[in-house]
Amino acid sequence: MTINMPLKNLRVLDLSRIWAGPYATKLLSDLGAEVIKLESLRVYDSHRGPVNPNPGIVSYPDADPGENPWNRNGWFNCLHMNKYGITLELTTPQGKETFEKLLSISDVIVENFRQGSLERLGYPYEIIRSIRPDIIYASMPAFGNTGPWKKYLAYGIGQEQLSGMAHMTGYDNEGPIKSGINHGDPITGSHAAGVILAALRYRKHTGEGMYLDVSQQESAVSLIGGELLKYQVGNEEPIRIGNKSNIYCPHNVYPSKGDDEWITIAVTDNNQWKMLLTKINSKELVKYSSYDFTSRKVNESEIDKIISDWSINYDKYELTHILQSLGIPSAPVMGAPDLFTDPHYIHRETFETVKHAEAGEHIYPGIPWKMSQTQNEIKSASPLLGEHHEQIYGDLLGLSKKQLAELLDSGTIGYKPTGSRIF
Amino acid sequence: MKNFLDGIRVLDFTQYISGPYCTKLFATLGAEVLKIEKPKTGDPLRYQPPFANNTNSSETGAWFLYLNTSKKSICIDLKTPEGRDTILKLIPNIDLVVENFSPGTMKNLGLDYSTLSSINPAIVMTSISNYGQNGPYSAWKATELNLYASGGLMKITGEPDNYPLKEGAPLAQLGCGQNAFVASLGATMFAEDTGVGQYIDISIAEYGTNVMENAFMQYSYSGVEYTRVGNRGYGRAAWGIYPCADGFVGIISGPDHRWPEFASIMEREELSDPKYGTRSGRLEYADEIDALMLPWLIENKKEDIFKAGQEHGLGFAYVSTISDILEMEQLVDRSYFIEIEHPIAGNLLYPGMPIKTDLEKWVYSRSPLMGEDTKNTLSKYTSMQEQDIEDGINKGYLQ
Repeated sequence: MTINMPLKNLRVLDLSRIWAGPYATKLLSDLGAEVIKLESLRVYDSHRGPVNPNPGIVSYPDADPGENPWNRNGWFNCLHMNKYGITLELTTPQGKETFEKLLSISDVIVENFRQGSLERLGYPYEIIRSIRPDIIYASMPAFGNTGPWKKYLAYGIGQEQLSGMAHMTGYDNEGPIKSGINHGDPITGSHAAGVILAALRYRKHTGEGMYLDVSQQESAVSLIGGELLKYQVGNEEPIRIGNKSNIYCPHNVYPSKGDDEWITIAVTDNNQWKMLLTKINSKELVKYSSYDFTSRKVNESEIDKIISDWSINYDKYELTHILQSLGIPSAPVMGAPDLFTDPHYIHRETFETVKHAEAGEHIYPGIPWKMSQTQNEIKSASPLLGEHHEQIYGDLLGLSKKQLAELLDSGTIGYKPTGSRIF
Repeated sequence: MKNFLDGIRVLDFTQYISGPYCTKLFATLGAEVLKIEKPKTGDPLRYQPPFANNTNSSETGAWFLYLNTSKKSICIDLKTPEGRDTILKLIPNIDLVVENFSPGTMKNLGLDYSTLSSINPAIVMTSISNYGQNGPYSAWKATELNLYASGGLMKITGEPDNYPLKEGAPLAQLGCGQNAFVASLGATMFAEDTGVGQYIDISIAEYGTNVMENAFMQYSYSGVEYTRVGNRGYGRAAWGIYPCADGFVGIISGPDHRWPEFASIMEREELSDPKYGTRSGRLEYADEIDALMLPWLIENKKEDIFKAGQEHGLGFAYVSTISDILEMEQLVDRSYFIEIEHPIAGNLLYPGMPIKTDLEKWVYSRSPLMGEDTKNTLSKYTSMQEQDIEDGINKGYLQ
């Protein structure tokens, strides 16, 4: 049974690449939008990886890039499920003609090229709007489409640095540390998806489309905007304090049984502190039993040391269950092997098993919410390069077999990269 | 229609971080957000320091001021029968309810989705929680630290020979709040079109697992666990955070064809050695390259290094302090900061929406004082008379 979706009958033409744009269109797709991912054969989405990668790279199934590595890369394949994939060269007259046909039947266009790229191809917002008057055009360059830095490039990792996130993250009195991912990308993607939805609602009421100039950098700053208020009212820069907290103590990661295994514990009130002490039952800690947050904070290093000596005797799950039963906030530090077998995530079907034509059957991150009426499901794996030419160009645009063959022969569309600049 | 979300009314039971960011987005886009707070105390985030003007008041906490702009505050004691009745009177006029109590709390208060939807079938209700509304960990207590850990992001952050790190900012909660906005708005628009409301369950820990990207996929694809790599990009070299004259910079060695630019930017001919010319070559000689880059980096300032890279088409960055950000020429040029006046906190600069439109339709007004809008809101959206409201205030279930 097909249930109605919030964005049923909504078509998104997706020229975006890497992560920020694709996460925006993933969220729209999770709400039921039809997303058509359009790639160039010369410069396809670099998340597909190089044309000739070295063997042994573990982002490919069994570390084997295979015959068509661009179809087998995990970086790409986790972000484009349920999307259609087509190729098109926008530099040729035939490509432009086809692109304009696609534009004319699309509700939303999304791109995160370097600023001005689509304009240089002949498609500033004014032209796009002349082809589809009520279109919503989300342009997502690193620093927005105006200002002295508009031509500059930045990746998600750069956004962590330019937003203050990196400045606040690190071990005590040491330098800033990047996160294990690139937070800037999904943050921008989610902001963009939300405002695209709002623009669609506005269009429904007024008939007007809209140009959305999304700055990836501003996106990261806005998310942690409270830090800017903190600085203004306190006149103090944040300092790097590892996993510690200015309002809770103890509050840290502690070793548990095994190699590189850890548990996080956060004591948020005096009662939890007493419960923890009872459990640890250490003579050295007894003297701290009546300590409030402020006095615990003064003795934090010693307290952390005693907890570490105790926690290392326990399995991280076992200890978490013990602490949770006492009402103490705690959790295991989970790596991917933990997540994949975790009873909670299995119970909630947080992850999806999806079969991909060239990568095989694997586990993927799913849809990041559960809706009681309009929960989407993963119906298809991420598209192979050019997988949906017939559906999109044939069925949707009505091009004949002959016209499709001409597009293929002229290299306007295709299935294999043609000399890639991908690094 | 003036604003994007004109006509959407949100009943906001959220507190702390995740929910308030979700409803801040609703309010900034024009929805009317009614923040329900406990009389006398309000959102606990109100008491989180630092405070504006050193006032240590319920109205001046920095993060509270930021996360609650453009909302209204209505104080109702949900634990009293009269307080609950007052909420139920509001429900016919509400499109969306957002809450982030621990799972089961709304049911205990007699305000769960089935109760609310029996009054207003088109209502959408979004519950944001640590681990979701069901499953073995649904009752687990957690702070950001715990959620960053169980969401898979902590194990991969930090130096390989040191302990795992969380981010300094509460990114799991804020990120989940963003996605809650997307889901809630999608469902509210669906309800506007169809009259069909629904319940949304969204988890902060699951947000973490949703954005692990390759750290998730490489284990899924090849069974090799992603590890902590400190500041060096995963499987990369000349890529990460490095010290410089006045702080730290982000160096990104872009595509191979851009690598020769490094030698000229950094004035070190040795960097043009062909053995460094490919990504795999650079990885092999990562430490050598770092040693060659450092002298130039240490001599130059962060903003100059950033611009030197950018002028050569390389995506360099720098580790901005908060004061750097407040003065950043790009942000100032784009009028990104909005000055908002507040009767107790004073005038402060707030980050605006990270999106410019050809119709500037954002709503920027200060965070509400506790209970500031109780009377107006209840007389506008319920049948309560002025005297009823006064009685409620005297009895203490309203403020």
